[in-house]
Amino acid sequence: MAVLQVKNLTKKFGSFTAVNNISFELKEGEILGLLGPNGAGKTTVIQMLLGITTPDGGNIYYFNKDFFSHPQFCLSRLNFTSAFNNLQGRTTVWENLVVFANLYQVENYIVKIKKLVTRFEMDDLINKRYFDLSTGQKTRANFIKALINDPKIILMDEPTASLDPDIADKTLTFIEELRKERPITILYTSHNMAEVTRICDRVIFLDRGEIVAQDTPLGLTKRIQVAQLRLTFNDNKDAVAQYVKKEGLNCRFDGEHVVYITTEEKILPKIIFDLSKVGIWMTDIEVKKPTLEHVFLQIARGEPYVFE
Amino acid sequence: MSLNRIKALLLHEIFITRHSFEVINDILFYPLFTVVVFGFMTLYLVGTTGKIIANEVLAGMIFWQVVNIAQYSVGVGCLWDVWSRNLTNMFISPINIKEYLFSFAISGTIKALIILILASILSIFVFQFNIFSMGLTNTFLIFINLVFFGFSFGVVMLGLIIRFGTKVAAFAWGFINVFQPFMAVIYPASILPQPFRGIAYLLAPTYVFEAMRKNLKGQSGATEFIYAAILNIIFLIGAIIFFRFMFNKSKQSGAFARLEG
Repeated sequence: MAVLQVKNLTKKFGSFTAVNNISFELKEGEILGLLGPNGAGKTTVIQMLLGITTPDGGNIYYFNKDFFSHPQFCLSRLNFTSAFNNLQGRTTVWENLVVFANLYQVENYIVKIKKLVTRFEMDDLINKRYFDLSTGQKTRANFIKALINDPKIILMDEPTASLDPDIADKTLTFIEELRKERPITILYTSHNMAEVTRICDRVIFLDRGEIVAQDTPLGLTKRIQVAQLRLTFNDNKDAVAQYVKKEGLNCRFDGEHVVYITTEEKILPKIIFDLSKVGIWMTDIEVKKPTLEHVFLQIARGEPYVFE
Repeated sequence: MSLNRIKALLLHEIFITRHSFEVINDILFYPLFTVVVFGFMTLYLVGTTGKIIANEVLAGMIFWQVVNIAQYSVGVGCLWDVWSRNLTNMFISPINIKEYLFSFAISGTIKALIILILASILSIFVFQFNIFSMGLTNTFLIFINLVFFGFSFGVVMLGLIIRFGTKVAAFAWGFINVFQPFMAVIYPASILPQPFRGIAYLLAPTYVFEAMRKNLKGQSGATEFIYAAILNIIFLIGAIIFFRFMFNKSKQSGAFARLEG
């Protein structure tokens, strides 16, 4: 069942088209990554999905209800967290959470807040003013706020931006654990391809306001069919050079003992086998496969990705 | 409208006020300080122009604080969330515009009532002037009309802030003072030059302050109160239409999402 359906969504700012007629769905329990270079339209999409920017065309449906006709029904079932938004800085974590629990009309909210605060190891921080928290602590407080209404869908706009790797990893682990506990649906934007690969079931690439690719992270990386083989060999550079020339391979030598061969991933085993057959003694083999980052660069640059 | 969400918005404001010396200063110390200054001035006026004029000036300044606080409460209430980058979080919750504005109306009324009571106590004990001497009904009518106007003015300022962002944030504090000279707060509208008088009689507070002066002389201000009420209703409807227009424009242009910088 689709919990979110976006149909022909369009947004123009003057003559600039930020989002151009995009359509996609988000199924229950799915984590969908929304990727794209700066200015691709990700944030505008999120803003329209939250109702803080009005689209010029198209429709948004949450749980099969039109968002603009039933905003309160939809908003009470979703939530949002972002590295770029804060809670009220002057008030304490507890006060912030009490306010949001009442805004979302959460029943037994004191019990609920206490449970979430303990879950996020913030028991000692609840009486601290939000402004006085560290970045990692603020992120945790933001997550508690985003979960206060048991949302069916959470929009996350770069939730780990500006976090150190340890806190970012803990945040991702939390999302993974949360997902095990209940079928939560997440729309996730990030510039960190490794974390998108880690947690997203499916990825949509936006470029200049349009969807240019959508697939699983693995499916997307398979679109780049070349890989790079880095071979370190003892001697006999001439034999290696002769072999790559004969096979017409794209290669680059680095000194007397290292060669980089860029070719289709499926013929890499054959190259290794052939070289060992002609008596090349290989001391190290490294295969560099395409990642989501390479797909990102290929889309952002608009030309096939070339391994360095 | 949901009472729970209005309660949440009121709690939000109480929590912010509790932690903000600036708010306490703006809604308590500064208005009381103004009343004290004008109180001393009236002590001087008693000796030169007579007690009635002196009382009119002091009562005018006390009630001016009511207008000021009611309008301040709306605009600045929103700005705390803009500055904290929390406005998006507030508006992606299921609150609607009616609840948002209604909570400001309640909090503005409460704050204005607190300042009226404190200023009245101050004027009774320090300046021997009892503002309630004009009768509780008259005091109530003056208060409610001024709160009404202050709230409507605040809604217009809020519309401007939401449309044009923090570059017009100062309107939340000071713009009302641009209109103060036309509102006949401490002098009758009749002393204004003719073109200014035209502006003055388009503003509800002018009639309220004229009624106040009549009440202080023991006369009825019923006609003025009726005019004020009619103008207040028209102004409130206009303010809400203006706010909705600005709010929608802001969401259309993307300015609302950029409010937090």
